[in-house]
Amino acid sequence: MRHSTMLRIGPVGFRVGSDWRAPVALLDELYRDYPQPQDGIPDFNVRLFAARFWRRWLRPSVQIGGDFVIPDAAPLPLAQGLLAAEMAMNLQMALGQRRYLLLHASAVERDGKALLMTGESGAGKSTLAALLMTRGWRLMGDEFALLDPATGMIHGFPRLISLKNEAIGVMEHEAKGGRWGPLLEGTPKGTIRHLVPDARSIAAMELPAAPALMLFPSFGFEAAEREVFPSECFVRLTQASTNYVTLGESGFDALTGLVRGVPARAIDYPDTKTAIATVERLWSELA
Amino acid sequence: MGDDNSEDGVPHAGKAERPSRRALMLGAASASAIVSIKPALAQTAGSVLNCEIPVPDPGRAGSYIDANGKVVPPGTKGAFPPAVRPFRGEEVKKAMNGANLPGTTYDQSRAYTNYIRRLQRGTSGFTCFASLQMPRG
Amino acid sequence: MTRYRAAPAATLRIVPLDVLTLVYHRASGITHVVDSPVPELLEVLGEKPLTLDETLAALAAAHDLIDPDREALAARLDELVAAGLVEAV
Repeated sequence: MRHSTMLRIGPVGFRVGSDWRAPVALLDELYRDYPQPQDGIPDFNVRLFAARFWRRWLRPSVQIGGDFVIPDAAPLPLAQGLLAAEMAMNLQMALGQRRYLLLHASAVERDGKALLMTGESGAGKSTLAALLMTRGWRLMGDEFALLDPATGMIHGFPRLISLKNEAIGVMEHEAKGGRWGPLLEGTPKGTIRHLVPDARSIAAMELPAAPALMLFPSFGFEAAEREVFPSECFVRLTQASTNYVTLGESGFDALTGLVRGVPARAIDYPDTKTAIATVERLWSELA
Repeated sequence: MGDDNSEDGVPHAGKAERPSRRALMLGAASASAIVSIKPALAQTAGSVLNCEIPVPDPGRAGSYIDANGKVVPPGTKGAFPPAVRPFRGEEVKKAMNGANLPGTTYDQSRAYTNYIRRLQRGTSGFTCFASLQMPRG
Repeated sequence: MTRYRAAPAATLRIVPLDVLTLVYHRASGITHVVDSPVPELLEVLGEKPLTLDETLAALAAAHDLIDPDREALAARLDELVAAGLVEAV
């Protein structure tokens, strides 16, 4: 592979190789303030390659490869190369992560304590995390939170924040002075634009936080909230974790510890103003 | 609680002889009392090829699909009638890679796949489409 | 006559949560989320193997059994056997 780069996100180091310069150049630019893998040794390798040699030039399309792959993955056009790189890194985490229990949740931190937000795609967890970042919270991650089975602490994975469709406009307005990737239209998930986490979030990315509150947000409904009991939290979190089963008993212990120790609420909200207010109130009441 | 026991086994006045038994129900024979956690991705990979996507969703049955995949009133000029039957995940996957959806012309297939790409959460078929995309979420 | 016996206690990690209980079965690595009367059944079947009727009697002795129905108990036991938490010997 003629082009490559390395970067570290939270505790995980990646090496990315590519048949084209553009995706690597974008990664270097957007992740310029991120550290290198620990001791220069990456944990996962990612490859962005042309399936047929002519696909390097003719309607160039990017296939995703790496230490961990799934079969029949559809390629992306080169214009979406950054998205391909991000998806490839996600895939390594989803399939290969063994050290930490992966939670499909966004996370923000205040006073050494972590707020976890989890739910289906489109429910608003990434956008909420980005909004809270602009309101003084440290962003730990918009998609994955890492639970350490040994300590019960949450470690951040602050990759580029992936904003979709309407959320892009919202955050362009809220994140004054934010650094953005290119606007990517026509992706499998609609229009996507990546926002670089703020300097403070990047600088603090190695600091774990104790989980203190869990929220299940739903965007686009009348304001409402209800308590979520540990058993429901447990089941929903196992559905949101790609490596719960692989971690065996230590995953079981880590997750039961989390649901027994951390209060949880499901919150519905019609707009961002309500969301932020609800989050702040619940945090002061419960965290 | 040890000092409640009397030597001759006669219950102490006012105290229970033994802890009261908890009520227990067996439940209906048809009900289930166990849910086993299965590996999430394995489940997704297995179900992807068998899930179904109706075009359009049943909530808008009868509406037409324009070339861009938008749902439009029936009879709209240049738009296509609803699909005769829901498409299976496997068929949609092939269509995303350039094949035609079964039983459709080239233009009709493009219109339908555009509709599928636009599926929002809450619409029938969204979970199936989402599971076709990698990675999850 | 079929007898039922719970998986060895050393292989079961049981964590009651709220209404539901979690059971991690070390032998299979599978986590089961279970409702009453599963935890009670695992307890009653933890010593020696019991027949269906003996199980029903043991449950009724240890608890205030509201619906002592043989068919319902058979369904519960079948479920437990299918999940690998109880063995039919």
